Amino acid sequence: MSNLAVLPIIIPLIAGIILAFFPKKLALVRTLTKVFIIGNLAVAGFSAWHVFNHGSIILETGDWAAPYGIIIVADQLSVLLVLTTNIMAAACAFYAPYSLPDRKERYYFYTFFFFLITGVSGAFLTGDIFNLFVFFEVLLMASYALIVLGGDKVQLRESVKYVFINLFSSMLFVTAVGFLYGTVGTVNMAQIAQRVQEVDQQGILTAIGILLFFVFAVKAALFPLYYWMPKSYAVPNPVISALFGALLTKVGIYSIIRVFSLIFIHRIDLTHEVFIWIAGLSMIFGVIGALSTNNIKLIIAYNIIPAIGFILWGIGVFNQEAVSGAIYYLIHDMIIKASLFLLVGTIAYAAGTSDLRKFSGLIHYYPFLGWLLFVSGFVLAGIPPFSGFIGKLLLLKGSLADEKVAVVIIALLSSLLILYSIMKIFIRGFWGEKDDTFEPKPVKGRTAPVVALLALSVFLGIGAEFIYPSVESISRYLLDPANYINAVLEG
Amino acid sequence: MIFTVLIPLLLACFVPFISKFKHKIHTGTVIFFIPLAIFFYFIQFIGSGFEPIRHTYSWIPSLGINFDFYLDGLSLLFVLLISGIGALVVLYSVYYLDRSEPLGHFYVYLLMFMSAMLGVVLSDNVFVLYTFWELTSISSFLLIGYWHFKEKSRYGALKSMIITIFGGLSMFGGFALLSVISGTTSIQTMIANADVILDNPYMPLALGFILLGAFTKSAQFPFHIWLPDAMEAPTPVSAYLHSATMVKAGLYLVARFSMIFGSYEWFFIIVSIAGIVTLCWASYMAVHQTDLKAILAFSTISQLGMIMAMLGFGTKAAVFAAVFHILNHATFKGSLFMVAGTVDHETGTRDIRKLGGLLTFMPITATLALFGTFSMAGIPLPFLNGFYSKELFFESTLDLEGGASGIAGFLIDVIPYLAVFGSIFTFVYALYFLFGTFGGKTQLDKLVKKPHEAPIGMLVSPGILVLGVILIGLFPSAVNGTFIAHAAEAVYGEPITKDVHFWHGWDSPAFQMSLVVVGLGALLVTTRRKWNGIYQVFPGKLSVNKVYDTIMGKLNAYSRTITTFYMSGSLRNYMAIILSTILVVTVGFMLATDGFTIDFGNLAPITFIELTVVLIIIASAIGTIFAKKNLAVILIVGVAGYGVSLLFLIYRAPDLALTQLVVETVSVALFLLCFYHLPDLKRLHAPLSTRTTNLIISVGFGALMTLVGISAHSSSWFETISDYFIETSKPIGGGSNIVNVILVDMRGLDTLFEITVLGIAALAIYTLIKFKTDKGGK
Repeated sequence: MSNLAVLPIIIPLIAGIILAFFPKKLALVRTLTKVFIIGNLAVAGFSAWHVFNHGSIILETGDWAAPYGIIIVADQLSVLLVLTTNIMAAACAFYAPYSLPDRKERYYFYTFFFFLITGVSGAFLTGDIFNLFVFFEVLLMASYALIVLGGDKVQLRESVKYVFINLFSSMLFVTAVGFLYGTVGTVNMAQIAQRVQEVDQQGILTAIGILLFFVFAVKAALFPLYYWMPKSYAVPNPVISALFGALLTKVGIYSIIRVFSLIFIHRIDLTHEVFIWIAGLSMIFGVIGALSTNNIKLIIAYNIIPAIGFILWGIGVFNQEAVSGAIYYLIHDMIIKASLFLLVGTIAYAAGTSDLRKFSGLIHYYPFLGWLLFVSGFVLAGIPPFSGFIGKLLLLKGSLADEKVAVVIIALLSSLLILYSIMKIFIRGFWGEKDDTFEPKPVKGRTAPVVALLALSVFLGIGAEFIYPSVESISRYLLDPANYINAVLEG
Repeated sequence: MIFTVLIPLLLACFVPFISKFKHKIHTGTVIFFIPLAIFFYFIQFIGSGFEPIRHTYSWIPSLGINFDFYLDGLSLLFVLLISGIGALVVLYSVYYLDRSEPLGHFYVYLLMFMSAMLGVVLSDNVFVLYTFWELTSISSFLLIGYWHFKEKSRYGALKSMIITIFGGLSMFGGFALLSVISGTTSIQTMIANADVILDNPYMPLALGFILLGAFTKSAQFPFHIWLPDAMEAPTPVSAYLHSATMVKAGLYLVARFSMIFGSYEWFFIIVSIAGIVTLCWASYMAVHQTDLKAILAFSTISQLGMIMAMLGFGTKAAVFAAVFHILNHATFKGSLFMVAGTVDHETGTRDIRKLGGLLTFMPITATLALFGTFSMAGIPLPFLNGFYSKELFFESTLDLEGGASGIAGFLIDVIPYLAVFGSIFTFVYALYFLFGTFGGKTQLDKLVKKPHEAPIGMLVSPGILVLGVILIGLFPSAVNGTFIAHAAEAVYGEPITKDVHFWHGWDSPAFQMSLVVVGLGALLVTTRRKWNGIYQVFPGKLSVNKVYDTIMGKLNAYSRTITTFYMSGSLRNYMAIILSTILVVTVGFMLATDGFTIDFGNLAPITFIELTVVLIIIASAIGTIFAKKNLAVILIVGVAGYGVSLLFLIYRAPDLALTQLVVETVSVALFLLCFYHLPDLKRLHAPLSTRTTNLIISVGFGALMTLVGISAHSSSWFETISDYFIETSKPIGGGSNIVNVILVDMRGLDTLFEITVLGIAALAIYTLIKFKTDKGGK
């Protein structure tokens, strides 16, 4: 059974390789893509079911026992994230043929797409910090390929920054892992956790932890390290933006959750306290960014930053409710961000521009798109009964129980401004007089994946009773690192 | 009960279908029966034997979020208002809204609102209440923006949403805090444990959060500014949401929570001040308006302020009067909004400067307006309910008892005067509304249409409301005996019985206050043109609206300034910020955790050759900074690379050295090839300060990494796992070259994916080049 753990990594890898052999046969490639992604989704679903019912799956690759070989750890958090990843990847796979020019599809889009999924799933599943670095490289290299696909001038200009800053953070990553290995003599995360605990995270260890935090914070686009993100996410095709927006930053924040709930948890008075501040600043500056622009794609891209802030806030507070809230918010945000990037991409396509000053009254031609956006705005801002609300409620209660009030006020205010930034698109772009000269384009194929994601998002809120117990169980699991350590080292 | 709350929302799904037949049957005619049925369902609960009812339906029990519906006297008052006025408004809208309008949208929003509002007043669970609360804001937003082709509608819709959702979020914070403090999500349980909440140091914060929600929703000064702009909504909506029901949600909230906070002195101070200031300010401003609906909007604000103030007083008399006035206000203000809508509908304008003398054209409408305005003005006549509640209001201002602090004491002294002041202006704007529209000379040339009496259908709803005004006026005890008493009991905690009489005798202080109001009010009405200039002096240019507009304008402008300031697009700036952040925070942490450990005890002796190689590497690294040509930079970097491979050789890792050598050679060759096509390096012409900062950052960062490295090396507390690799390489791995065994077996997964990375890179480069040159395809 333990091989189940590695399947969500291997299936997309093989899919990517197979599709690279006949990129010009588009019809076949598209069909195979859907088959593979749905197959992978099914596998991810099954392994999630398995893990929640029978406990973590540990795979010792090459049969080299932990802590010596590379360990794949499919625990509750990992499988839930892998499942979510595949859901939104499937939506993107269905959206892509409508949105990408055939030519880009022929140039290995689907291969890169599957490699990206490989890297992301690998990062969620690995139990080895050096292997995490390797999967980061896989997903980054695939993202470099996707971001330059087509090679427009503006694309290249933004990608240079993206590539450069990520290269820097990779370098810092491998250096920090080296330092860590120097002190604790291992790269197995469970063993690192055990050893850090043994020496009570003394001396240099906290500083190494903080270096790792910054590595992940750059990927997660936290304040003040997110400069590379908004423009490079807003420039590519919507389907690529959706993949990036929903996945890449989330891998960063996932790594923070993992490392700072498992390993560096003995000086939370310092580390996690600083996280709360960074979270608050991310909310403020992210929202300010979202209000600063009339480019609807950029509005969504900026909205990634406060969302990551919300998640980090939960890790910073670090009690049962707050961590549950962070995880709920993480799942919620992966889905709604993918949905919003796809939706805004469709709107920009329908309006013929992504500049909000240049269109209005779209609701007369695209009422459905308008209402999708309207609902998305409330989902994103965490207005009940939608999914963002559940996460925010938990975060709020966790934070207030710990008497952390300032960040609560910041979070509430930024929720309001997040809502405003989306409603601005609705009011200015959709409301208004009917333009009789306008010629609408068909958008049906593009809306279906958006509807599916949004429906899931709504369900996450209204049907929270079905999801929340799992999330609560994850946070209980995370708050006691012995669960992870024992499963890996003694399992 | 869940059924009655959710039924409008569920039926709303069918409205788009019904509205397809709007040319055969007006959609509103069908919708009308929904609120009517709800009204008749709830009316059965009126009676002396009424006991609160609770129905619970699970939703998210693990989070304590359930549909706990709780019907007590206060809720009953509100549900009857919501369904009763709802039915009348729908009926009115059938005649008001033309069939060419998008009726489907209108009734979907209206039904959505109905469900939401019923949910607000019936939910005992704070988070469900909050859910419905936001839904009322959302439906209000959509209804204000109903005619969204108008710029003013869009402006009003956004304004109302920003302000009410701001309040809603704040209230949500308050609820979360209360539920953390009390460990429950039920309001009734919180009330039962009020002392736990009152003893908590965070109680004032929770109160502040909740009051902010209530004040924004009920348009209390200075949050009232959204309500006049909400008048862009179709008039039935103004009558319903923005006068009779939604804006009273804030009052409901304060009333509901006064059982918890009532004994806290600052509750009295803040709520009373907010209420009384709103009363005075809005009634004063109402006289200055020229749009009929704007007059009514300010009038609504001021009346809400008056009720809010009474809820703040919290005495028996005040609570009773507040609850009574909630009902009375709904009757007369609802009818007046409908009158304003009728006038607009029949004349084509709501500008009071163009109106006048309509009595002769619209006698029935004028009569309805007469009752409505006189009741609002509190004119002492025994068939006007407004007079009774006004009288009770005056009484309640007089029997306030001393507070401990100076502020409370001062308030108690001035409140009666402010109450009279507000009431005088109430009298003035009420008569101004009536005579401005129906009295005086007609100005037919200024009207769009020739005025005539409204169709009978439009008069039915306001007629019924006016009938309510009169009946309550004639038989106050009919509602006060059980209905209002139960509602007041829910707010005050104990049964309140109060006999309401018309006549208290000449020596009754409240009656004397009423006489002052009528006397001074009449004087001010007749001389209105003479003192009208006062508005140029006060408020003059002062305006809360301007504050809102400035905030919203600045929000956009400043966010742009801030964002363009740091999102400069320059990679160098980005790196400078990123590096200095990492530097400062990490150094901070190292100092705080005593992270520097420098231990030279565990080092091997340094040989001459090692030293030489390292010096060469250092020299070439520094050299890159000063090199002026691409070619030179590449070669110098190459030197550093070869130096590293020499080090590998010295440490007896010939395979690594070989690999490094190949990598260096190939990359130098590739760089040379590429850079041949690139422009030459330009000297950076940055000011000295920038260059100094950059120097400090880069040296600092390098020093940091070195220090962390040394400290890490000095803190090797554990055996490394590499010993295991050395032991098992041969017996388990089957190879004597440990590095090879590690690469292909022990950590084979790493290698597999590193190869994948290379593969992706190769494919990406191929794509990048080929995509540009490939002319085939589209």
